[in-house]
Amino acid sequence: MRTLELEAAGWSEHRAGQHLDVRLTAEDGYQAQRSYSIASAPGEPPAITVERLEDGEVSPYLVDEVRDGDAFEVRGPIGGYFVWDADEAGPVLLVGGGSGIVPLMAMARHRVRAGSEAPMRLLYSSRTWNDVIYRDELESLDAVEVVHTLTRERPPGWNGYGRRIDDDLLREVAFAPTDGARVYVCGSTRFVDAAADGLVRLGYDPSSVRTERFGATG
Amino acid sequence: MNIVSRGFRGRRQDGPPDRVPPGQYLTDDFPVLSAGPTPHVSLDEWTFTIQAFGAEPVRWTWEEFSALPSEEVTRDIHCVTKWSKLDTVWQGVAVDTLLEAVEHDAEYAVAFCDGGYTTNLPLEDLTGGKAWVAYGYDGEPLEPEHGGPARLLVPHLYFWKSAKWVRGLDLRDAEEPGFWEQNGYHPRGDPWLEQRYWGD
Amino acid sequence: MSKRTLDGNAIGGLLLELFGADLTAAPCACDGCGAREEVARLDVYADCPGVVVRCRHCGDVLITIVRGRTRTYVDLRGTRGLEL
Repeated sequence: MRTLELEAAGWSEHRAGQHLDVRLTAEDGYQAQRSYSIASAPGEPPAITVERLEDGEVSPYLVDEVRDGDAFEVRGPIGGYFVWDADEAGPVLLVGGGSGIVPLMAMARHRVRAGSEAPMRLLYSSRTWNDVIYRDELESLDAVEVVHTLTRERPPGWNGYGRRIDDDLLREVAFAPTDGARVYVCGSTRFVDAAADGLVRLGYDPSSVRTERFGATG
Repeated sequence: MNIVSRGFRGRRQDGPPDRVPPGQYLTDDFPVLSAGPTPHVSLDEWTFTIQAFGAEPVRWTWEEFSALPSEEVTRDIHCVTKWSKLDTVWQGVAVDTLLEAVEHDAEYAVAFCDGGYTTNLPLEDLTGGKAWVAYGYDGEPLEPEHGGPARLLVPHLYFWKSAKWVRGLDLRDAEEPGFWEQNGYHPRGDPWLEQRYWGD
Repeated sequence: MSKRTLDGNAIGGLLLELFGADLTAAPCACDGCGAREEVARLDVYADCPGVVVRCRHCGDVLITIVRGRTRTYVDLRGTRGLEL
């Protein structure tokens, strides 16, 4: 994982949850393009957190190669659906799987920076404790209630959740469906569909559950 | 004016120009490209049909199809998204063999598939040892995500013509654009002439 | 649902470039079954010689987008309209 802070000419302030598209051009004109969620809060310069995928084409370049002063094209900020603004007062449930945490982190950071009082809870699924992105920052985040679940391996002494998100886990962690919470779910397609379906079974109105599926292309 | 990103190369490789058409890059992978979900059909239900206008459809069940003479062919394949893969090995029935079972004077065909995909080809591109209905790849049964149980294989044209999950050919007098051909892709798709889009 | 299936968020940038507006929150009605969803909630297949957007309920193709050399071909026939 690597977080890149970008300086973009003409960048308009982004909203929490939005993404940007990165386009790389090689010397012979070959191009590759990928989308990355913006990890930083509105008001901060855009930053993206890139997960290095072993046989990826773009992520190894961004993680291993890019240095201060390097340049590439970006397009954005993009997104009007998977966004949260701090002036929305209702409770917010964030559900993230793996690298799906990135846009949710922007929302959490936004809540802190904007001094919002909206109750915010994060349910974050990772394979192991080592895979948890923004781990230290999440530990120190008072304003957001963080619940981890580790699906593959747990450290000694772990007394948190240790399985994939299921209906029981959601029932224990999510706000009651009648609390008027807005939910944001982000991760792989399978993760997102399973969590969103589970929330609807719990009684959430589908229109209050916003989803963003990440692809696995690197 | 694009910004060139220092040190970015991408994954592609160069290859011998007599085997890699203009604008293409070599790949060792076999990328999966799909316009929709992978259909699943049981072999009990699978059939392959050739429909000629005004004639009775000719149909094979999977069992009958598997009993047809088949061959192993090694060919290079070229995707319009710019990747090329050399020396791919397929097992299948030549379309020439299938067309022997049908009386027709059609000049064009539309391949139709599970999931609704279609692509059009002139009969000339399907005959003379240029096309197969393939059910094996690299020594194994063709995987669903690559078009299994069977796909059309027309390697001398861009690979969108090699329709996955093919269930038959509709023979016609007139050219009728298929899925991608209706949406900007070239009616014929010869990679050596770089016929990618309308107007190329 | 394949792990490769994305959603309308993934083509937000493309649509912004083509239409000059962010369409991810724009409701879109399926001409086949009438279901109405925001673009962000539609099934998107972007691993193909173009982009194919399908109705999540009936699977019909709503939108296809092909980037040619100098033109982009956008087919909206599968929709009953986009609400911007």
